This record gives sequence, structure tokens and C-alpha cells, in this order.
Amino acid sequence: MTALFTKVLVANRGEIALRVMRTCDRLGIATVAVATELDAEAPHARAAGEVVRVPSYLDADAVVAAALSSGAQAVHPGYGFLSENAAFAQAVTDAGLAWVGPPVAAMEAMARKDAARAIAVDAGVPVVPEGAAGGFPVLVKAAAGGGGKGMRIVRSQEGYAEAVASARREALSAFGDDTLLVERYVEHGRHIEVQVMADTHGTVLHLFERDCSTQRRHQKVLEEAPAPTISDDVRRLVTSSAVALATAVGYTGAGTVEFLLDADTGEAFFLEMNTRLQVEHPVTELAVRVQGQPLDLVELQLRVAAGEPLPFGQDDVTVHGHAIEARVYAEDSFAGFLPQAGRASEVRWPATSGTVRVDHALESGQVVSTAYDPMLGKVIAHGPDRESARQALVQALDDTAILGLTTNAGFLRTLLATDEFRDAAIDTAWLDRHELPAPDPGPARQLAAWAVFRAEQEPSGPFRSDGFRVASAAAPVVVELDEPVTLGVPPGRDPLAVVRHDRVEVVQHGQRFVFGRPDFMVQHTAVAGDGALLSPMPGTVLDVRVAEGDSVEEGQVLGVVEAMKMELSLKAPFAGTVTTVAAEAGRQVALGDTLFVVTEAGASDAAS
Amino acid sequence: MTTSPLRDLTDDLHDRLAVVRRGGSDAARAKHTARGKLLVRDRVDRLLDPGSPFLELSPLAAYEMYGAPGSDAVPSAGIVTGIGRVSGRECVVVANDATVKGGTYYPVTVKKHLRAQAVAADNRLPCIYLVDSGGAFLPMQDEVFPDREHFGRIFFNQANLSAQRIPQIAAVMGSCTAGGAYVPAMSDETVIVRNQGTIFLGGPPLVKAATGEVVTAEELGGGDVHARTSGVVDHLAEDDAHALDIVRSIVGTLREEPPSLTAYEVEEPTEDPDGLYDVVPTDTRTPYDVREVIRRVVDGSRFHEFKQLYAETLVCGFARIWGYEVGIVANNGILFSESALKGAHFIELCNQRGIPLVFLQNISGFMVGREYENKGIARDGAKLVTAVACSVVPKFTVVIGGSFGAGNYGMCGRAYDPRFLWMWPNARISVMGGEQAAAVLGEVRRPDDPVPLEDFKAGIREQYETQGSPYYSTARLWDDGIIDPVDTRRVLGMGLAAASHAPVPEPSYGIFRM
Repeated sequence: MTALFTKVLVANRGEIALRVMRTCDRLGIATVAVATELDAEAPHARAAGEVVRVPSYLDADAVVAAALSSGAQAVHPGYGFLSENAAFAQAVTDAGLAWVGPPVAAMEAMARKDAARAIAVDAGVPVVPEGAAGGFPVLVKAAAGGGGKGMRIVRSQEGYAEAVASARREALSAFGDDTLLVERYVEHGRHIEVQVMADTHGTVLHLFERDCSTQRRHQKVLEEAPAPTISDDVRRLVTSSAVALATAVGYTGAGTVEFLLDADTGEAFFLEMNTRLQVEHPVTELAVRVQGQPLDLVELQLRVAAGEPLPFGQDDVTVHGHAIEARVYAEDSFAGFLPQAGRASEVRWPATSGTVRVDHALESGQVVSTAYDPMLGKVIAHGPDRESARQALVQALDDTAILGLTTNAGFLRTLLATDEFRDAAIDTAWLDRHELPAPDPGPARQLAAWAVFRAEQEPSGPFRSDGFRVASAAAPVVVELDEPVTLGVPPGRDPLAVVRHDRVEVVQHGQRFVFGRPDFMVQHTAVAGDGALLSPMPGTVLDVRVAEGDSVEEGQVLGVVEAMKMELSLKAPFAGTVTTVAAEAGRQVALGDTLFVVTEAGASDAAS
Repeated sequence: MTTSPLRDLTDDLHDRLAVVRRGGSDAARAKHTARGKLLVRDRVDRLLDPGSPFLELSPLAAYEMYGAPGSDAVPSAGIVTGIGRVSGRECVVVANDATVKGGTYYPVTVKKHLRAQAVAADNRLPCIYLVDSGGAFLPMQDEVFPDREHFGRIFFNQANLSAQRIPQIAAVMGSCTAGGAYVPAMSDETVIVRNQGTIFLGGPPLVKAATGEVVTAEELGGGDVHARTSGVVDHLAEDDAHALDIVRSIVGTLREEPPSLTAYEVEEPTEDPDGLYDVVPTDTRTPYDVREVIRRVVDGSRFHEFKQLYAETLVCGFARIWGYEVGIVANNGILFSESALKGAHFIELCNQRGIPLVFLQNISGFMVGREYENKGIARDGAKLVTAVACSVVPKFTVVIGGSFGAGNYGMCGRAYDPRFLWMWPNARISVMGGEQAAAVLGEVRRPDDPVPLEDFKAGIREQYETQGSPYYSTARLWDDGIIDPVDTRRVLGMGLAAASHAPVPEPSYGIFRM
């Protein structure tokens, strides 16, 4: 029997690097991390047994050199970066190292959509009907592509030629290859994918399927296992198809075969195969058991890469309850999904337990940059059935609090709580058609007020903050935020909050809120005056730059007065409209003459 | 909840305070808030730190004194005063209630304002004036304007408090006319609310009468004028809330001196203070053991009694209240020579050790009669009065029953400058009991008085009954307020905390008559 590795290089960063290292640690395998200068203090660099500095996680030569210099026997690529780069896999193998992934040939075969499709057809795997002949709508996509680039939905014959032409141009510029695929477009699709695992001894097994239909612009948001809507027939079809495809390409290790399920017809079609460990692999690990025992896909990957046979058969694999994963991103989902960056001043992930798993690489004080993938971590919940898993995940996201920058945790929580997700009615385009309402800031404001009060109250002594009044009921406690907040029932547990003199941040139901606080020492110039700009000195008007009715920004120069050899600019005290222009260039003015009047625009928004 | 006479009296106090705290009439309050102004107690609440307690002083000032008999025409004397925490510091707040006669100063309003300044001086607490007042109540100018302790004294005090480095801060949130204009002008740092606060020596009508000039209040002395042109104020605020924020910020910049009294760990009494309602009989003539009261006021209900076996009608001893060491002097019967000697000795002890004194007053007086006079009870009473008068430690007096005659002096009545003097709702205060006064006056009246003796005596008794009421007392500021007995411990604690801001000088006494 082949010996398992004693040292493995993890060619990745973030939560997946930590995830791989956890299994290595458990198996007694030493770990080597690669880290860029930016990541010198990153969690994965600190967690590894040793660290090698690399210029970039995409620098294949540097990563291979790191593996060799550190004496690692194998390279685990994680997902993203070089994980699906066949040239890198080849370089690893050429260097005499074990590649924790499929054979290079299988990677290359699956990398092209047209080639993969052909192999699938040969293996008897159902594929989306090709060409525009079957009627519209159709999807035009780049054969070499990914990430939605070069993709067009064409709904009728008229737009077809133009769509093909533009997709071709885009494909050429993005991938250097203008080969296109034209397939039937499924209006209400569900994304079903099958986890496969194959060893080098000819065993190819499936580990059931996942449903990743909750997507936004083709990016997965929530994933679950098993798929909640498919029939046993479809399940048998997709799992057997996946095994057939993996067998056909001589696959080894962990891979994922993706299918598009037409929710209207119940048909399933092969989409593509991902030749790596998926982001969402934890839902399979939680919802599938092997011989009744929990599953560790990374361990299986390592054993297969070391040449060991899979220690179980297909009949040993069973579904165990249900698991759902939520991907936590640094983005402001309720403000156009804008990417967020900054220092995560306070981070609280939910407590892990038998039902909740958290794979993350974000700790308090860490800086989140836009240099890397904005995913901060994954929160996964398990339950005996889908509904209990869903509720456990809602609870877990309620317990997730990241301060300092906005994340999508509140959005995920809101999404999980929708009737549509509860009823498994969300198809892959649902989020592109629906806008989730932002949570009501009221309850969060109450939490923020409590946080301010608890941070600043006098807890003891006769002047303690209990609102005592002589021979009367205690006065209500009012905390000034962007508006006065009367404290109600105290929150059950201390909300995670960052209280500053001028603002307070809290997280409620995963959503971060920032409320302003009146702080005279910060907003000293808050009083802008009444909008009348008077001549500051007796002198001459040099310049008049606005006319009555003009809209002006705060600080905009309205005119210039010369006096005592100085030129004094008269600036708008606030944004608004110029309602009076009494100044005239060249005219003498006395001290205190009204020269301009600006009328304030609508009240500005206090909370950010 | 069991009923007791004291509880009933306390419920009555709560009811009366609830009415008074509403301020002026519904119409006046509606007019006030319609202008975007906060009501006076809302201003105070927003000025104070969130959840800060407020030791309001004499909320029943002027109670039933002005207007039709039996009516409370000038609730709280149109001014709210007290001690609360602002930006973490205990401050004295003086806030006009413009919904009560335009915030004008009645005689008791002046007295209450001056009393608040005295509290600030005694305890070295910053003063915050929230000004919204039309100035002196002109119909009563003879009782408001000319005398030593009248309107002018407010500014005299501001100058001298400032000289003692006790900060004077004003926010002009409404009118500030004539003499009142000096409140902000005499302050160390001043805020004004734009389009709302005005400061001028003579208002537009007076200006027109004097010079013929026609000018609006805002042009004459509005926020923009004073913040930008005259320099009378230092900060311009958008509205009440903003002005209060600025005041809070100003207080945040003040220097704080270390406390003069040490607060040890606080221990709640083991005897439930609620029991006070039941242990105290409402008839001041019914004796009870004052230790029952002490145990419900002091930390851990622990009391180190001094000379327990000697002169038992005056209970003296050490305890802690809210962690502060105190010496307690409590009546437990009539004062004899020995009681006076014991009290004087104990007060000297406290002064020697720098321990504040708490007087629990329930005294019908010193013993009278030939034996006692001949033995020199006046000589011993004088020793007690000398000791009380010359005490340098902070003194606190709570009238928990009767306060009659020279007992009032020996037990640190208002004339003896306790830092604070509070009354329970069952308290009675007069030079002697109504019965005794009727008897004495019946004896000494002109023999040819046509009024039948019993009618005469009934008149005296009725007068004493009215004037001996705690509501009569508190209306006239003979005290700092009537309190709920259950709050005794709390208000004493707040008083002690306030007192800890002022240093305790070295003791020295006048001649003790031996």
C-alpha cells in the first residue's frame, strides 16, 4: 500500500487553504503555505507549518519552486487560482511532485465546453439541444469561456446574427478563440451538480448532488445538498451520467459535474465539469455519509493522489439529512452589490456545533482588500431535513457579525428567510429578476442605542445610569443617534458593536448598520448660518460667478471681494439654490452688506 | 402591597409631583412645542447623559403660593433645578420653563435659582443655565429686584462662581431679556439657538418707545447677531438638540478634580427600604426606634453605634451610604442635656475624621422645666448647636418626622447650612407644635380679647397645621424637596457624591459654653 504524504504544499489562500490544512493537520501531514507580500500575516500563512513567499498565487513557477524547496511531496491547489490550470498540473507532475487533482488530460478535456460536450454525448450523457433549429430562446456562448463572458441569450431569429457576431468578438478578445456554442436556453433553470470521486484503481463513485440554483449573475449565493426538487429518476440520471462522464475521461480525485435542470420540463442537461474541489463542497461533506461516517473530501483527494484506492463502494454512500451553505462576501448587497474593502474591526462568526460549520479566513482586525476574491467565508448548517437546516442557517447568520466593512450576511439571511427559498422555488435567474428589500433599520438602531448606552453608562454609584427621578418613575433612557432613540427592552445578548464618538456600528440579522451620533467636536461647523453671505470687509466686488436660480454645491465660490489688498472668496455654506445675487462686479460694498443668499437644499441624510 | 399611612402620604406626593412636572397649561405647552422647542424637562433629559439620574431640587417650589388660593399657578416656580450627569460630570442645571408665565422670575423663582447656585458653590459643581425667560415678573418687582438675595444676586454669583473656577455655561434657548441678558453674558461659554434665542437689554417695544427705532427681535439680538457680530455668545446652534449637544461638548472639555470623599464598595441594605413605610408611624407623637430607619438606609444595614447605652434619645454612629462613610445623628426621643453632649462629642469626632454627617430629624424639642433649666440644658444645647454650626464636613438633613423649636437648630435645620435638606411627606415643621403655640398664646394674649379662648386657640392651631405642612415648607424652599422615604438612601448617596467634589477644610469651633 502506498504511503500517504508527509508534507503537502497548499497553493492557495483564504478559507480553502485553511480547510485543506485542517485535514492535513488531522492526518499528521506537515503543511507549506505560499503567501504574497500582502498576505504575509494572513490566516493561512500563520496556520501553515512553513510559509514560502511568492510574487503571486498565479505564478506557477514560483509555486512549484516553493514546493520543491520546502520538500513537499504534493501540491493541493484548492479552487480558483491555478486549480484548473493544466499547464500548472503538468509542471507539478514534471517536477516529480504529486498533483492533488485529476490527470492533466482530463483537465484539458473538460476545460473546453465544446470538447466536454462531445465527450458527454459519447458517454450517453444528456446535453442541451444544440443549434437554433430547435427554436428560441437560445444561449450563445464561447466554447473556451467561462464567467458569463461571450454569453448571449437570443429570443428570436431577428437578433440572432447580431448576437452571434458580438459574442464572437467578445470571445476572441477574452479567450483568443472565437468558437461559439449555441444551445437551447432554459428559462427557469435549476443548477444541479454531482460530486464525483475516482481513484487511480478504476473506481468512480458519486457522492450525490448539490443544488446551487440561488445565483446572482451566475455567481452562486446559496448551495445545498441534496437537491430539494428533483425526482429519484432525475437523481439517478444525473448521478449515473456524472459517473459515466468521469469514467469516460479517465478522471481521478474529486470533481463536479454540473447539470442544468429545466424546472418547467424536468429535463436535465450536462453543462460542464469542474476539475477541482468546489467552494460548496462542505454541503456534501455534511449531507453525505460513507458507511455511516462523516466524509472528508480533502482526505479522499489526498489518498487518491497518493495512489490509495477509495476505501468504500457506491452502496456505502448515503444521504444524511440536509445541508445549506451561504457564501459571505465583502459586498454591499443592498447598494448595488458594490465590493467592499477595509479593516474588519470586529468579527464574530457563529459558534460551530454539530449543526453549524464555518469555513472562513477572517479574524478581527484583518484588512480585506480588493486584491483577492471578496469571499470572506462560508457558513454551513446541517439539519435532519431542509427546513431545519434552513432555520439553523438563519440562526447562524443572525449570529454572524462583521464590523468595519459591509458584508452580504444580512442579504443572505434575508434571502434564506424568503418564502421562495423556503419553498425551493428560486431558479438560477431569480435574483437577477428580483430585488430583495433592505432590512428595516429600526431594530438595528435600537441595538445600536443599547450598545452606545452600555459603552458609556455609569454602571455603579448613586449617579449610575438608571434614570432615577425623585419620587417618580425612572426617566426613559434616550440615546442620540441620527435620531433620538428611547431604549426599550434590553437585547438578550450584547450586540457586537463598535461605538465611536461620532458613530456606532452594529450588526443585526447579519446586516451591518452605521448610525451617526451628534459629536460637536467633529461637526463643529455644522451650523452653516442662514445662507446669507455678507461682505466680510468694506471693499470692492471683483467677481460674481453665479446667477439667481443657480444650484450650487457646498463650498462653491459665489463671488470674490477685494479688500485691504486681499481677495476674499464667498463660498456657499451648504448645497442649495442661489436665491439672491446682490453683488455686482466693480461695485463698492460696505461691511455686512448682503451679497448672496443661498437657500438650503433638502435635509441631508444623516445615516450612512 | 400593604397600605400604611406613610405610603398613602407618599402616593399623594407622587401625584402632586406628576401634576407639577407637566409644567404650564396644555395651551402653553402646545404653543411652546409648536415652535420646535423642547419642554423644559425634556431639555434637561436631553442635556443629561443617557440614563443619568437627576436630583431635582424643590420641584414643588411656589406650590400654591401664587394665584388663586389653593391653585398652583406657577408650577415648580417656573424653573427646573437639580444635579445630573453631563458628559460624565455631575453638574447643576438651572432651566427656565417658558410655559409657566413666560419663564418670568417670581420671588420664589429667584430663591430657587440662587439656591441652585449655592449648591453649585458648596459642592463645586459646574453650572449650566438653559435660558428661556422674560426676566423679572414685573407685578412683583419689589420682591424680585432690589434686595440682597434678589435678581441681581444671580449675576453676582455667576461672577464669583467663575472666580472660584466653577464653570458657568449658558444656552440661550428662548428669550433672555433685560437683566436676564446677563445670564449668558456673565457665563464663561455660551450657546444660542438660531431663530429662537434672543438676548437684549431692551426688547423691540422698549427700543421703539425709547428711540423710535423699529427692529425685529432677531435683528436686535438673535443668534446670528450675537454669534457673528456682537460676540455675546460663542456657539450658534440650529435647534434645542444641537444647543444641548454643544453644551455637552463644552462640559466634556472641563477639567475635573479628584474627589475629596472616598467611595468604598456599595452594599445594599439587608433590610428592605420598602419597610420604611411600615416602621414609621405618621403621628409624630408616637415613639418608635429610629434604628429601624437607619438600618433601611445604610449599606448592609450595618451601623457602628456610638455611646449606645448613654443618652438614648439621640442615636449616633458610623455607617456607610453608597460606599461613603457617614456619621449619623438621629433623634430617638426628646433632647436632654446628655443627648446634646453626646451629639456634640460625636459631631466633633466626625469633623476630626472628615466624615460627612447625616441628621435624621424627628424632634419635638429640648426638655423643659425647672430641673432641666437649672441644670443648664441651654448650656448643653448651645454646645450641640455650636458643634453643628461650626462643622466643616458636609452635612445632610432629612426631616423624617417633626422639626420643632431649638431641636431644629441642634439637628441641623436649614439655618445650619446642610448641603441638602429633604423632608419626608409625613414631616412637620414649626417653632413649636400648634397645640403648644395655642396654649402659650392663649396665656399671653390681652385679657380683654373679645374672641372666645377656644376659637382663638383653634385659629392658632389651624395656622400651625397649615404652615407646619411639608408642602408649605417646600413651596418656600425651606428644604430641597419632599422625597419618597424609600429614596432616602439614594438621594443621600447623590448628595454625598455631589459633596465629594469640594474639599473639606480643617475644623475650628466657637467657644463651647462649659
